[in-house]
Amino acid sequence: MGRNPGVRLFARPDTHMIDLRLKIGDVPIDHPSIVRLRTDAVESEHDAVLIDRDHQSQTFDLAGYSLRVYCDPQTDLDGDVLLLVPGRNSAHRLLRARSRHNTFLVTEQCDQLCVMCSQPPKKYHVDLFDQFTVAATLAPENARITISGGEPLLHKRRLFQFLVAAAKARPDISFHVLTNGQFFEPGDIVLIDEIGRDRVLWGIPLYAPYAELHDSIVAKRGAFETLSQNFMTLMRVGAAVELRTVVLQQNWDVLPRLAEYVSTRLPFIDVWAIMQLENIGYGRMNWGDSFKDTSLDFRELRSTINLAIGRGIQTLLYNFPLCTVPLEYRHLAPGTISDWKNKFLEECGECKLRSTCGGFFEWYKADEGFGGLSRQ
Amino acid sequence: MKKRKAYLVPSLIAAGFMPSKSDATPLVGVTNKKPEPTLFERLQVKQVYTLAGHSSHSSHASHSSHASHASHASGSGGGYVVPRGDYNNSTTYTQPDPTPSYSPNPGPVIRSLPTTPNIPTSTDSYPTQVAPQSSSVNTAPLPLKTLPGNSDKFRRVVIQVQTALVAYGYYRGPVTGQVDAATRVGLNKMQDAYGLKVTGTITPQVLTAFGISTN
Repeated sequence: MGRNPGVRLFARPDTHMIDLRLKIGDVPIDHPSIVRLRTDAVESEHDAVLIDRDHQSQTFDLAGYSLRVYCDPQTDLDGDVLLLVPGRNSAHRLLRARSRHNTFLVTEQCDQLCVMCSQPPKKYHVDLFDQFTVAATLAPENARITISGGEPLLHKRRLFQFLVAAAKARPDISFHVLTNGQFFEPGDIVLIDEIGRDRVLWGIPLYAPYAELHDSIVAKRGAFETLSQNFMTLMRVGAAVELRTVVLQQNWDVLPRLAEYVSTRLPFIDVWAIMQLENIGYGRMNWGDSFKDTSLDFRELRSTINLAIGRGIQTLLYNFPLCTVPLEYRHLAPGTISDWKNKFLEECGECKLRSTCGGFFEWYKADEGFGGLSRQ
Repeated sequence: MKKRKAYLVPSLIAAGFMPSKSDATPLVGVTNKKPEPTLFERLQVKQVYTLAGHSSHSSHASHSSHASHASHASGSGGGYVVPRGDYNNSTTYTQPDPTPSYSPNPGPVIRSLPTTPNIPTSTDSYPTQVAPQSSSVNTAPLPLKTLPGNSDKFRRVVIQVQTALVAYGYYRGPVTGQVDAATRVGLNKMQDAYGLKVTGTITPQVLTAFGISTN
């Protein structure tokens, strides 16, 4: 399979993106291994301490073996957790100690095929949950780790093992699990309790207030019905749920009805995230048919948000550049685009909103993007 | 597993290293003279079977054959690239023997506590004592097979380096497969004598000087 830049979430680093992979020297290992880089103290047997640095690399003492990590001299790697893979000269930077945006992509398999998917599924799965478990135990204090896919709950047993073990080992860390919610079962209550109800925020998408449209957006018949049932399970568990709705041309007209649905059927959710489209993966492929330019037309969103908030649903706008949002709604739009994949445009210049604005996805294309951007 | 033992033990003997405790080598780790296991220990052993079942990729319907995922991995940027070949077959994962009878080396090769973060599948039998440590980062339960230094390959390279250090007179042994303080001293001496950068670690230069390949 050749490289397809369109579907690379963990894209090759270029000049201004944060490296999620680091070039390394040879390491004699025969299983995927975890190492935490330290500049001073060693606290864990997984720690490798810095022993040398030059203009293009830093060298760490990995159990007596010199592990050379190539990076910019300014890069602070202290506390970063790497996944080393046998025979590979690039390491995955699973955790960046300086970042709030750490994601474990636990599988690339998925049972849905959403029109806006940023990470299109693959057939095969490599089980790295043991590695993720160790990595989580090495996370910086109070870290929140996002678990993403594919559909993580396709490997539910392993996922729950991982969550239970990591949660027990590290009472300070928490998890944000992005799942389509298709695989919860009533019996999961025990395990969710075991992990700790307040330890996991379940990010679950719902795109429409009725089956036909939701099912067509996620390309899975019965998905809406299953999801509705499983929301009841989550409600009984007392799980923390972040409901996620990507704004699309497909669901634009029904967003107010969706607000109605959410406020009457899903009042237990913690937050409703109304999200702008990310133009990568299928999102890029289907951009023309899916992207709704909310900088030019915010009307349906206005009623949607008003209704939801009026009924006590905490509602937020994710991935909306601030200048595309009417003034009175801007406080609902936190900067949500992960540090390693966000950017600002040339026209942003010295915009006054820049410090609170989430900016744009790295792969945002101005010529087919928002028509109503305006420097503030 | 068997392959590793067949290799490792002759290496140790060849290196003149005999375990200080005769009942402490990995070879005899499989003898059956253990005391009655506690529930905790039983669950740990059970966990090993879980892992073994996993490594064959036969327990999950959704798993496809291991070899076939290799090409996918190299092409995509999406996931974590894991190369062709079933590393699980050659993993150094060692059964977390409930008795501490095998820590044969002065600086034990197996550096993790024999605890595991994995839990039994059933929802009601999770042993809370699996994670007996405090909240501190360094004592978390760690599966052995995630530790680079527990790799067969890693130890083989260390053994080759230690053997070479012995052969050239920079180190007196034992050959353990683990870089301990004495090995570091030997490396320092060797690097100094060869005019290499003195790090006290195994560097590419050391490997080249000794003609040791990491492949």
